[in-house]
Amino acid sequence: MYSSVHRTGGNYGAERRAQHPRIEQEVRGRRGVQANDGIDLDVLPGQVVGLLGHNGAGKTTLVNQVVGLVRPDAGAITLDGIDAVAHPHIARQRTSIQAQANVPITGLTPRTAIQLVGRIRGGRRRDVVARTQALVDALDIASWADTPSQKISGGMARLTAFCMTVVVPGRLVVLDEPTNDVDPVRRRLLWDAIRHLADDGAGVLLVTHNVREAERVVDHLVILDGGRVLAADTPAGLAASTRGTLTVELDLGARIGPDTAIGWPAAVTPTTRDRLRAAGTVAAESAADVVRWAQDQVQIGAVERYGLAAASLEDVYIRLVGPDHAPVAAEAETALQVVA
Amino acid sequence: MNTARQGLLLLQWQLRRSLPYIPLLVVVQVALAVATVVGYGLLVGTPSPDVALYLATGAPTITLITVGLVMTPQMLAQAKTEGSLDWMRTLPVPRWTFLASDLLMWTLIALPGMVLGVVAGVLRFNVNLSIAPWVVLAALLVSLTSASVGYAMASVLPPMLAQLLTQVLIFVVLLFSPVSYPASRMPEWLQTAHQFLPIEPMAQLVRAGLANASFTVPGRSMVVLGVWVCVSVAAALTALRRRA
Repeated sequence: MYSSVHRTGGNYGAERRAQHPRIEQEVRGRRGVQANDGIDLDVLPGQVVGLLGHNGAGKTTLVNQVVGLVRPDAGAITLDGIDAVAHPHIARQRTSIQAQANVPITGLTPRTAIQLVGRIRGGRRRDVVARTQALVDALDIASWADTPSQKISGGMARLTAFCMTVVVPGRLVVLDEPTNDVDPVRRRLLWDAIRHLADDGAGVLLVTHNVREAERVVDHLVILDGGRVLAADTPAGLAASTRGTLTVELDLGARIGPDTAIGWPAAVTPTTRDRLRAAGTVAAESAADVVRWAQDQVQIGAVERYGLAAASLEDVYIRLVGPDHAPVAAEAETALQVVA
Repeated sequence: MNTARQGLLLLQWQLRRSLPYIPLLVVVQVALAVATVVGYGLLVGTPSPDVALYLATGAPTITLITVGLVMTPQMLAQAKTEGSLDWMRTLPVPRWTFLASDLLMWTLIALPGMVLGVVAGVLRFNVNLSIAPWVVLAALLVSLTSASVGYAMASVLPPMLAQLLTQVLIFVVLLFSPVSYPASRMPEWLQTAHQFLPIEPMAQLVRAGLANASFTVPGRSMVVLGVWVCVSVAAALTALRRRA
């Protein structure tokens, strides 16, 4: 089956489009298990393309195919007009990739590791030193940059791996979950750095679960499920279906048990419910009624807090892949749940 | 891009990453060299001058082979397990450059142990060596062969299996190889097997380099060594290039 959901952002001229990374592939895993089936996506220079999907959706397989660690059974991966499947070594020269697993750099400091990789990627020493310093400053990791890596935290290791990838960026930069383990303040700095990378001319393919934050920097989003493309569009295009819809979120009062039904007003469509929180969607014109209802619930102690917000890409994503696979919903306050 | 420069930078990366462990590696090599010389000395009692010369010129080969056949595959298996190898495979470095820099590192790391093996042998058995200048090249070739075989083993096999195999190999090298004693003491089938394995030619080459007056290298041994280097390098390169 070939699923063509190929769309492009409209800001680039034809001569530029001829030179962009393009991935069209069909992969059948061994033993009859189908890994990826007909993914068609373009990454233009200057563009951040977000690749979303639940665990096992085929994201990492796709990433490994781009740099020639995994061979697709069919389809084409084109980088700057070059067939990446036939010439994996050229693909590697033009791509820099931050894998999902952290790079072990024991024995080195983050700064040394970043500089060495920059020079291995062909950067001149002086340029690499300057670029390393710029990245270290941009991500606010200077105080750790010269610490032996055995002593740095997981988040710092993740940021170091990011710097190692982009110190001398390829035409295509692939980032697989770059924000994992990174603290909220530096996550913002990291998103800015990713945006700058594209603004400087690289095509960025960003694999992430962090839909809510990625929304700020991506130009184009591709949602994968079961190795197929479910949807692909600009963030605004994907969110169009939710225009005029708001999300209402409740933090439930302590005396509301997990099995107690929430008496939502009729205007609300319930979406998620867990022990301490509940959420639903409501049409904008009914929002005032819902606010009044929620305020009453706060008065009687059934609800601690409530909030209304424009429906996000995350809501679109959850609707598309189904709540079972919702990655960020799983983050909701279920840190320790004991079911007897 | 200059691939030689890339290879040297990769070598620097690997060496600096191994730096904390290198003193330990050298200590293990010293222990190995001394253990071989002193341990065999205990086994055979007071050796005759001939036997002593065999033991003293065998010990350096044992340390060379152990680094290549045991430590190299163990480190590579570890690099596979911790994900370091997969990451390095995403770098824009030709596979053969990567292999060459790794083999160079393991070839060099084995050399201090070899020198210590010679020193330990001379001190313990009081033998007179007649060192040929080409022993340096011989040591490099032997070290390269064993590093290639070890590297190929760990590239081709799953990490667990490679680690297990190294444990078996250490016994084969220490006890069942004509390194510290002449092949004529072994059962015939084992002698035949060793005609095709790289261990005996490695021992012969180092021995002839260290005691040039007493030993020579058969031409056939050089051919066997050459074949093992080529096959191992090809196998390791194929494994590095393989796509899942």
